[in-house]
Amino acid sequence: MNITVDELKHEIKVLILDTLKITDIKPVDIDNAEPLFGAGNTIGLDSIDAIEIIMALQKKYDVRLDDQNLARVILTSINTIAEFITKEKGLTG
Amino acid sequence: MNPIAYDHKMAAHCETGTVAALLNHSGMEITEPMVFGIAGGIFFGYFKTAQFTFPTFIVRSKPGQIRKNIEKLLGVKMGSSTFKDPVKAEAELDNLLDEGIPVAVQVDFFYMDYLPAWQRVHINVHFVTIIGRNGNKYLLSDIYYPKVVEIEKDTLRKGRFAGGSMAPNGFMFYIKSIPPKPDYEKAIRKGIKKAIFNMLKIPIPFLGVKGIEMFSRKITDWPKYARDEEHLSHEIMKINVLLEDQGTGGAGFRFMFATFLRQASEILKDNDLFEMSKRMMAIGDGWREISLHAARIGKKRELGPEKLKELSDMIRSRAEAEKEFFTDLKKLV
Repeated sequence: MNITVDELKHEIKVLILDTLKITDIKPVDIDNAEPLFGAGNTIGLDSIDAIEIIMALQKKYDVRLDDQNLARVILTSINTIAEFITKEKGLTG
Repeated sequence: MNPIAYDHKMAAHCETGTVAALLNHSGMEITEPMVFGIAGGIFFGYFKTAQFTFPTFIVRSKPGQIRKNIEKLLGVKMGSSTFKDPVKAEAELDNLLDEGIPVAVQVDFFYMDYLPAWQRVHINVHFVTIIGRNGNKYLLSDIYYPKVVEIEKDTLRKGRFAGGSMAPNGFMFYIKSIPPKPDYEKAIRKGIKKAIFNMLKIPIPFLGVKGIEMFSRKITDWPKYARDEEHLSHEIMKINVLLEDQGTGGAGFRFMFATFLRQASEILKDNDLFEMSKRMMAIGDGWREISLHAARIGKKRELGPEKLKELSDMIRSRAEAEKEFFTDLKKLV
């Protein structure tokens, strides 16, 4: 992958918003460290959203995130997702 | 007492993950998918009986079977006990800990208070491993949680002696000994044969591939069992929970079985098994599509006959794929 970590984080935010068809939140509104799950957070994901995001990440980045227990940890925030993809795919930028 | 030097790792499922971790601690190199595969864990059963108020299904062999099959097929010796008296149960646990033996205990998941409240539901068949104690607290390794935690003695007691269906009754198990040279090749072949038997040969119309076929046929009848639309949507969304969110490793244990086949192909140096592992991964992807579809239509309350027919068709395609898969797998062992 030839993008920087910041570009990757932006890309992940866009992917999540597009996948969940969220139109009233912009990528810039999502803090990289903010928990993605639970009421009261900017996005407030639930377990069904998690499956949608897992499948979207799998398709876009060719990474497998099969186990829900681990997925829950990896999908904690934009930072943790980016960290996972960076580790799986390698990031040169 | 000093805690036992125990390598805490997260895993997919509490029984397979706990058994694998205990075996690793005892010096046996074995992965969670390998435990699952050797024990013949993959399964399917569709149930509509008086015991269940609504149709349901299972995707793995019954609780406890994994542990028993690992003992039988790998020659591992395990100790286990159930108790009526919580005081005796704690005394026995403490004795084993004093001997430096980590002990898996069955608990009601609800009492595991280190987990977030939204995650905790009453499930009586959860396993955690106790690796030490500190005053009125036990040190606990739960494969669902990223790190070792402390739990109050009283809280653990509530979990170990919760009432209801499949009550734990203080059940615990631990490793007594492992074989010096486990015959993995033989165990893997037996595990695969067991999986093939479970999925293709059990002469009961709601078990194995026949169970998936029944699930496909019957799901269009689900509205008649539901009290109202709210209830139906809840049950349809539960398909996602049962396939993805119950420690299945994703896609109703199909991904875990695929990983087992990949690892088995490396041990047996059998490229055909590697190809089968890729096929099973693709079958799992199809189950995951079912999870997602069920979750979507349940959430949006789009539960008309045409949507249930779509779900039925998707499930039938899994039945066909698994029938073909296990038939082909049979030719390799």
